[in-house]
Amino acid sequence: MTLSKEDRVRELARLVGISIAESELSEVADRFDSLIEEMARLTQLDLSEIQPVTIFPEEE
Amino acid sequence: MARDELAFLSATEIAEAIATKQVSPVEVVQAYLDRIERFDDELHAYITVLRDEALAAARQAEEIVQRGGALGPLFGVPVAVKDQFWTKGILTTNGSRVYRDFVPSEDATIVARLKEAGAILLGKLNLSELAMGGTQHPPYGIPRNPWDLERTPGESSSGSGVALAAHLCAASVGEDTGGSGRGPAACCNAVGLRPTFGRVSRYGMTPMCWFADAAAPMTKTVRDCALVLGAIAGYDSRDPYTSRKPVPDYTAQLAQGIRDLRFGLIRELQEHDDMHPEVRRAIYDALEIFKDLGAEVREVSIPMVALAGAVFVGVADTEGAGARDEILRSRADELDAATRTRLQAAALVPAKVYNRAMKARVLLRQQFMRALQEVDILVSATMPHPPPKHAALTAPFKGTDDVRSRFFFRRSYTGCYALTALPAISIPGGFTSDGLPIGLQLGARPFAEATLLRAAYAYERATPWHDRRAPAAVG
Repeated sequence: MTLSKEDRVRELARLVGISIAESELSEVADRFDSLIEEMARLTQLDLSEIQPVTIFPEEE
Repeated sequence: MARDELAFLSATEIAEAIATKQVSPVEVVQAYLDRIERFDDELHAYITVLRDEALAAARQAEEIVQRGGALGPLFGVPVAVKDQFWTKGILTTNGSRVYRDFVPSEDATIVARLKEAGAILLGKLNLSELAMGGTQHPPYGIPRNPWDLERTPGESSSGSGVALAAHLCAASVGEDTGGSGRGPAACCNAVGLRPTFGRVSRYGMTPMCWFADAAAPMTKTVRDCALVLGAIAGYDSRDPYTSRKPVPDYTAQLAQGIRDLRFGLIRELQEHDDMHPEVRRAIYDALEIFKDLGAEVREVSIPMVALAGAVFVGVADTEGAGARDEILRSRADELDAATRTRLQAAALVPAKVYNRAMKARVLLRQQFMRALQEVDILVSATMPHPPPKHAALTAPFKGTDDVRSRFFFRRSYTGCYALTALPAISIPGGFTSDGLPIGLQLGARPFAEATLLRAAYAYERATPWHDRRAPAAVG
């Protein structure tokens, strides 16, 4: 069974414990889906050797 | 000089005029208060105006001048800060109803340092809710761009941009997580600097993304920017990530010229199809000016840079949702709909996606550092288009394509420096044929703010843009 984008977001929201108004489900779903689609473009990059540091050293 | 004209002086000129007793701090503060009263009902730059406090501070400053006391570099200069910085005993709303009763018990470090330098705080400036962007119904009024009231002044340090363009303060400090200082500077024909991460303390600044947030000097001129940066930069024991590197006199090298500098146009940002043609033209014109001033100019490639907007949202919004978890769970109904849906979407991002974005951020930094081995200064537009209309910016999204085109791409221009923790400045770079400001953005190596300011100053001296007055600022 394929979930609608709204159903998927409703279920994710339930899992993370936040409440999303029915009237805003579509907007949240569009924002979420577009972000995931954009992030999917990063799979083309070779990131296997990269450590995801938060603070860069002062001298490089 | 007529009192109203005092407000059009730069911060540097005001400090000099006060130090040489040509004007009194009271006259200057009164000039700004008069303008705020006259213009701000329409412009909504300010959330809180500190009329009595500013006048009291000005009278105290006048006594110090009269008795020949020591004067700091910003002595008597009326400043205003984004309402994201804590101010002791003064309401700090973060542009949100959620914080409508928040009165901090101490000053943010940058506020304390502005005061130590002699500045007089005129008030707290409007911003997009929680320093994010796209707020549909700003609870403290819609900040209006003095260059065109129907257009946005940029986000999220909107009030700082408006106040500078309308001469409602002499200088400001905004905040720049992904372009929130440089964007409003570009939209309002002002100067906005994002310093290297760690150069300026974040203590007392309500966070969005703790490793990208940066206090951002916003000013009318590049020299003023150097002055303000010098006043607020430096180690702070209350922010463990501030650098212990010495703070140079950022004004000292300004006039040294740029013959020794190499400028690199970021090809991927300049050639993007979505770039406005007049903005593109302005950036090419800027390169000619750098050449005329004796600098070397070339193109550089940063292959990943067009993805920076998406990576930025993946990283910063997710961090922001984490930082606002309690608000999202218990007070989401008090947020503006755009803030709420943006944070809610970010709260759903899976860990593997966040992890990938964080790795991409490191790869982007490597690409920037490589480019900065070839050149000293990176060049691009600050925004790919002139300031959009309010209605276009805040309309609800219509599908994922609309989100992509309106939300992600434009963030690549400024978000790339936030992700890579590098310093960048936006300066007035010209106007479109219908009179809208264009921002020119320059970037540099870590802690190379002095070089960045020198390049910006050379361009400013060679162009007339910063001298223009916004239509709504002259009534």
